[in-house]
Amino acid sequence: MTKKGTGLKIVISAVLCLFILVFAIRSGSVYISLKDLLGIIGGHITGKGTPEGIDPMMDSIFWVIRMPRALMAFMVGGALSISGACMQALLQNPLASSYTLGVSSGASLGATLVLILEISVPVLAGFMLPAAGFVFGLATVVFALMLASAIDKSVSNTTVVLLGMVLSLFVNGIVNLLSTLSSDHSKQIVLWMMGSFSARGWDHCAILFPICILGLVSLMLMSRKMDIMSFGDLQAQAMGVDAKKTKILAILICALLTGVSVSFTGVIGFIDLAAPHVVRKIFGPSHKLVIPMSFIYGGAFMALCDLISRTLLSPREIPVGAVTALIGAPFFAYVFFTSRRKR
Amino acid sequence: MELNAKNVRVSYGKTEILKGIDLTIKSGEKVFIGGANGSGKTTLLRVLSGIIPHEGEVLLDGKDVFKMKRKDTAKYISLMPQTSDMYFPYTVFETVLLGTYASAGNTVFRNNASDVQYALKCMEDCGVLELKDRHLDELSGGQLQRVLLARTFAQGSPFLFLDEPGNNLDIKYRAELCDKLNSWAAGKTGDTDNTLVAVFHDLEQARRCCTRAVLMKDGKVIFDGGIDEGLKPEMLMEVYDFDMASYVKG
Repeated sequence: MTKKGTGLKIVISAVLCLFILVFAIRSGSVYISLKDLLGIIGGHITGKGTPEGIDPMMDSIFWVIRMPRALMAFMVGGALSISGACMQALLQNPLASSYTLGVSSGASLGATLVLILEISVPVLAGFMLPAAGFVFGLATVVFALMLASAIDKSVSNTTVVLLGMVLSLFVNGIVNLLSTLSSDHSKQIVLWMMGSFSARGWDHCAILFPICILGLVSLMLMSRKMDIMSFGDLQAQAMGVDAKKTKILAILICALLTGVSVSFTGVIGFIDLAAPHVVRKIFGPSHKLVIPMSFIYGGAFMALCDLISRTLLSPREIPVGAVTALIGAPFFAYVFFTSRRKR
Repeated sequence: MELNAKNVRVSYGKTEILKGIDLTIKSGEKVFIGGANGSGKTTLLRVLSGIIPHEGEVLLDGKDVFKMKRKDTAKYISLMPQTSDMYFPYTVFETVLLGTYASAGNTVFRNNASDVQYALKCMEDCGVLELKDRHLDELSGGQLQRVLLARTFAQGSPFLFLDEPGNNLDIKYRAELCDKLNSWAAGKTGDTDNTLVAVFHDLEQARRCCTRAVLMKDGKVIFDGGIDEGLKPEMLMEVYDFDMASYVKG
């Protein structure tokens, strides 16, 4: 692939993804023109408030509800996708994802405990559920890594994947048990686990944004190591990469990205698996492109799925995880099995 | 430079693979590691490269290669394993360029021009320059072997450890490989004489490429000396438990 060809693909992808994001913000039960949307954004950024001629209700709908929700969906999609890309390369497993080490099941356990025990900490206010989800999700990954290190000093891929699966199933079993024993809360638990972007505001975005930037930059800086790691731990060691250290560090970064995302929105599957594979089909396997492109492709796809989840059966909302799978699976199958490498 | 292995032992589970190896390799040497399947050759190469845990010590000019930073070890020692996983179909050029990782001045988005030139030279030397833009999953076994060899050369280390580099190569490329290895081993990397340590199953290749033979049996070195002596029929009989002479004569 020539540099010119790659550059053109990057520009087209970036424009397309931006278009999808803007489309997701503008569309819904209330539609807004691009001019008015830019006016609302400009008014808030410059501190001038709602521009003349725009209904304050419209301002609220777009600035308070739609924009943070769409941006949140974009960031969560991006964060899950780069984690998936990273895990697939490190573990050399096409089915590896950001959930492989049990982040989602750990987060689900945390959220379940908060819901059942009705725990509330005044300082955390509305962030209690996400905070518990994040802490339990990250703790599960750290426990899985410690266990993997204790069992297998080289932390081989097979050990990591198998332990992650076993731990996920075990923790999911506890969640199911708790959910069954506390039937009053089971609906809330199921709803949380299905994932949603509803009622996500700027305060959520403000937490996720720096974590996304941190994750994106640090994984991009590790992209050459990830290229080498995809040839296997032994080869990576021989070429000068400390396979164990790189794997643990990258997994912790992915756990942070996934943990925060899942804790805010619930468990949303499929994007982390599909987006990196689609990106590799378009841009090739080099991670210096796979990581940033997975972020924008995954982000745009999630924003689109969220738009569908809130508009298809409006005013009812479909769980976004169901939309990502129902739309993503056939699309992914089409891209993966029909397109020969067009780089 | 000098690489010293002192009483090296390696076990996989309860099975002891290396049973107390003492070995010194001086820079400039061309060493053949021989032995039957399962005798510990591959494990020995990995231990000498500092990439697997072991008992005992492997010292490079007094520094423990297993305790050195991986990137520092890789600047001095490059290892071409018997097999390499290929999960993603990188191009031949991308693959060989990755070999420069340990010594490269590459940043995330820009490849250093001199590293690119060096990678291209290694590709040319290994006869894969015309395959530059091909993807790894489009190559034959022999072509892939030459690409992996080019990647190992691209590491630019004075100690080159090769585990069965002739695998999948036809007779022409095997002969060319010997010429290439001999001309490389006659040179220097920086101030250090180049050193070749290779496992071969093709004994003719071993004879053409190496001057010293280290022969292994059941995890122990049972012969360490000149290549001609090491490849005598009676020695081969002891190493392989097989009458090589009558096999060759038919």
